[in-house]
Amino acid sequence: MEKDEILKKVNDIFIDILDNKDIVLTYNTTANDVEDWDSLNHIQLVVAIEKQFKIRFTSQEIQRWNNVGEMLNSIMTKIT
Amino acid sequence: MSFNSLPFIVFFVVFFFLYWFIFHRNLKFQNLLILAGSYFFYCWWDWHFLFLLILNSSLNYALGYYMAKATNQRTKSILLYIGVLAGVGSLVYFKYTNFFITSFISAFEKIHIIINIHTINIALPLGISFYTFRTLSYLFDINKEKFKPTSDIVVFFSFVAFFPCLLAGPIDKAQTLIPQLLKKREFNYEKAVDAMRQILYGLFKKIVIADNLAQVTNNIFDNYHHLPGSTLALGVFYYSIEMYTDFSGYSDMAIGFARLIGFDITKNFNFPFFSQSIAEYWRKWHMSLTKWLTEYLFTPLSIALRDYGKMGLILAIIINLTVIGIWHGANWTFVLFGLLHGIYFIPLILKGTMNKNKKIDPDKLLPSFSEFVNMLKTFILVNFAFIFFRSDTVSQAFSIIRRICSISLIQFPQNSKPYFIPVIIVFLLVEWIQRNKQHVLQIENIKQGSLRWGIYFVLFVTILIFVSAGDQTNNGFIYVKF
Repeated sequence: MEKDEILKKVNDIFIDILDNKDIVLTYNTTANDVEDWDSLNHIQLVVAIEKQFKIRFTSQEIQRWNNVGEMLNSIMTKIT
Repeated sequence: MSFNSLPFIVFFVVFFFLYWFIFHRNLKFQNLLILAGSYFFYCWWDWHFLFLLILNSSLNYALGYYMAKATNQRTKSILLYIGVLAGVGSLVYFKYTNFFITSFISAFEKIHIIINIHTINIALPLGISFYTFRTLSYLFDINKEKFKPTSDIVVFFSFVAFFPCLLAGPIDKAQTLIPQLLKKREFNYEKAVDAMRQILYGLFKKIVIADNLAQVTNNIFDNYHHLPGSTLALGVFYYSIEMYTDFSGYSDMAIGFARLIGFDITKNFNFPFFSQSIAEYWRKWHMSLTKWLTEYLFTPLSIALRDYGKMGLILAIIINLTVIGIWHGANWTFVLFGLLHGIYFIPLILKGTMNKNKKIDPDKLLPSFSEFVNMLKTFILVNFAFIFFRSDTVSQAFSIIRRICSISLIQFPQNSKPYFIPVIIVFLLVEWIQRNKQHVLQIENIKQGSLRWGIYFVLFVTILIFVSAGDQTNNGFIYVKF
């Protein structure tokens, strides 16, 4: 799966979980750029991503991401 | 040397002059001045524990330095554990030793075993809860590779002891403060003027509202067993407003003083009483502490418990909020305060509405009926939890609740100075109108300069009147004792 394809799927998950149709993610998007993406709902996003791609992140991995790009890299390494 | 005292004003004026006029050409000297000023400020309060502050700074500086140099994760983790053990260990020792001893004795008393252990006399080092959390976040972020430690020892020590937020926060992360300490600060007139407005409003909230309400609430809570439920309910309402005006007033001043010397520090309050749910309330009340615990406690917990779905999330929230309660001090009242707030989250998690966007249109003059009802419901829940927060013992809290829930709730309130009610309503209305601003005195939309100055003047004179009329011996900030 291409990185852009993953980005699109992740974007859909964000729209669904955060209940906001206007979200447009890029590789450089951070939690500060998306309204309501805070630590409280971060975990719900992670669980939804894990379910969608049938993968499992480690706790360290999840806490080290600085932006969407780094999160996508983690997904890429796990599905390839 | 409280922000609202004459010695602090003298200290700050001298500091400001030296900072911008004598040391402004040399960043190193300016940072040294921040450090010296912060230690002077701390010693003015209590010099006994300065060594602990310096010890904490030295240890964390060394740990951060070696963590960044460590080539493997194991060494890094060991250094992190040392830091966490030292930080949390000193907090537990100074804040909770007697709490554990007395709880231990009373637990055994319940099963008729008398244990003869004496509590020990331990003084609480000022600001320990705040600066320990600052240094812990520094180590956590280095471990997560989110922050590179500084080798500049003066910068690091200044970050730990930064006087505007040394005693009662906001709890700034290293990422916020250290880069600003490393960079040359330029004096910005507009920013300084706005900072002065924020300090003026903070002083007004503290001296005119919080200190006056404190006299009434102290009286009500001290004599609760003689008073009807109506007075107690009013006392709880007054206490919520007192807590908010005291702590947000303090935070406005801390942010304002930091801005006057060229720093932007973390916001601590965002009009929490207009929240429509308890989740929103915690995003807007004591924001720097909530963010800290959310990042370093709730997030790892919720990740670890994510396989348990909503139950895992509920457990993580309850632990998180209970820790927020205990952070305030060693008393079962704080434990119950936190636990209660954790329980308030359960319906939101079960309904899945914790993150649902319920923002009120910023241009709206008035909330809709349902928005108002949501705000009122949240406010009542917050008030109810404050009964535990304010009470000295759990049995006092339950006794107050019993009285409030009795027929005496419909009696006319006694000794409760009802003229505060219209004052509070006007105060809340002004806060509502200005709710989208960084602070309430951002009134640049009032075009007539004379009217703006008139408002500043009235606030200033009111503060002076209350300073000269009030009893200035017992008006410290509530959060300084945490």
